[in-house]
Amino acid sequence: MNALLAVAQIKGPHLDWAGLSPLIALLGGAVTVLLLGLLRNRLVRRICVPLLTMLVLAAAAGLSIWRWHHAATLVSGALRVDDLSLLLGLVAIAAAAACVLLSLRAAAPAVAGEGEYHALLLSTVSGMVVLLAAQNFVTLFLGFELLSIPLYVLCGSELRRRGSLESGLKYLIVGSVGSATLLYGLALIYGATGSTDFSGVAAALSSGSLASDPLLLTGVALTAAGLCFKCSVAPFHQWTPDVYQGAPTPITAFQAVATKAAAFGIFLRLFDGALINAQPSWGPILAALAAITIIVGNVGALGQSSLKRMLAYSSVAQAGYMLGGVLVSTRLGLQATVFYLAIYLFMNMAAFAVIVARERETGEGDDIAGMVGLGSSRPLLAWPMTLAMLSLAGIPATAGFIGKVYLIDALVDGGYAWLAVVLVVGSMISLAYYLRVVAAMWMRPSAGVAGARPIMAGGSAEAPTATRLSGLEVSVVAALFGAATLVFGIVPSPLLSLARDAGKALTGIF
Amino acid sequence: MAIGWYLVVSALIFCIGAGGVLTRRNPLVILLCLELMLNAANLALVAFARMHGGEDGQIFALIVMVVAACEVTVGLGLIVALYRRRLPIDVDELHELQG
Repeated sequence: MNALLAVAQIKGPHLDWAGLSPLIALLGGAVTVLLLGLLRNRLVRRICVPLLTMLVLAAAAGLSIWRWHHAATLVSGALRVDDLSLLLGLVAIAAAAACVLLSLRAAAPAVAGEGEYHALLLSTVSGMVVLLAAQNFVTLFLGFELLSIPLYVLCGSELRRRGSLESGLKYLIVGSVGSATLLYGLALIYGATGSTDFSGVAAALSSGSLASDPLLLTGVALTAAGLCFKCSVAPFHQWTPDVYQGAPTPITAFQAVATKAAAFGIFLRLFDGALINAQPSWGPILAALAAITIIVGNVGALGQSSLKRMLAYSSVAQAGYMLGGVLVSTRLGLQATVFYLAIYLFMNMAAFAVIVARERETGEGDDIAGMVGLGSSRPLLAWPMTLAMLSLAGIPATAGFIGKVYLIDALVDGGYAWLAVVLVVGSMISLAYYLRVVAAMWMRPSAGVAGARPIMAGGSAEAPTATRLSGLEVSVVAALFGAATLVFGIVPSPLLSLARDAGKALTGIF
Repeated sequence: MAIGWYLVVSALIFCIGAGGVLTRRNPLVILLCLELMLNAANLALVAFARMHGGEDGQIFALIVMVVAACEVTVGLGLIVALYRRRLPIDVDELHELQG
């Protein structure tokens, strides 16, 4: 028996610890943060837990930058860490850092427990890192769920508010339908090609005999539908406004940016990598979906008075723009999508930071009425919001303009000029609701509005005017991301070169 | 045995699950239907693994089972939290009555 045990050695895969280091930092950090949150000392929980979370995120970001240009295939081909996954991973990490800052004084971590809240945030980010690096269906699905499940909990983390719990449950149900659809699609692709590796799938498809296989086409369609749920591409977007509105605002800000980056990252890897040879069959269908998404998102946003709902519809529209970059399957399209995902971080985070601030300062919640007169009363909040809105609309001198031009360039170059026209028309419609926010901030007087409204029904006397400030860190986040929107609109070249590096990661496209 | 029958059964289960999620109102039943959808995919995976003769599909199915369990746990937790949110009102009243 002993001899048998001595002979039976387990042959594990070779582990490249350096390549895995960002992921290890995040997962180890999640466990440490969870344990630290168990301490009963209020000071430790209020200050040390967010501080440690920031340190973990900084370490993961530093390790990601260290691995830049060191593309490596890890864990016997299960993961591939290259510039594409690192850049989009950095976007997710930055979004998580902003989320930690925005939730410093929020209700959600206090109710749910600081340790749990931040540990869940870190595990979501690690799910994104896994998903972005996935090289076979198993890691894809694992990353997808590691991203999703903590996020469901985070959406429901304000346990005492019904809206938050509802949004968590809704997101869980819709998200699980999405992941089940994705899984079924992956199973069918596996059946058609006989491989769960992206490289194996690509090799099986390259012969061309499978291109019209019904099993494969059904699988591709179901996979695309599952990913579209996560990217909130119409007609799979219905959950977006409800979940965005109900979830705690810092979490909404995080998921709007980071989930999109991760989901589009894997969209690029799977469709422009493994399934590239089936592009003639899925390209036109995704183009139709993108056009529908642009129209539905922009028209849906027009009638919203809640800013979070408006930004949710706007994120649907933006998903349509980015899907355009995926479906052309060119290197230009890949770079344009990555660039847009990066600037989407800046403009969306700036807007959500201002919403967090106004939710705390006024009793209006996230209603657009909370923005009235912000230009004269709080210019430091009004400027980032203005920049974010103009950038989301695509006004020149903001980063959004460069991103849109890049995407339109990719669409025309890839033979989808009609979709570029839809994109421009959609942007024109979007001006109506973005400029409404800008007009509310700058063109209406604040006197008698901000001061007269009671902060809370039956509130104490210590909150008479809008002087109840939202905290320095929120303004800093808003100013930082607002400034980045402007800076990368005027000097886009550093970000463009990063996007170009990321674009070199996939080898099968031209 | 032809693979076709396994696929038909699995597609049927998937459609039953999807139909249940769309039509049912009770969150517990919806969670059950989600399980059906995931298990339909598992059946397809195992059948394909048998067809191709590798073990990739079976390993995938095992991992999916673990993930499905996690998902249901979180779902049940959220449902319990939703129900409990209504409870404290009643519980507080009971305390007051007792003095």
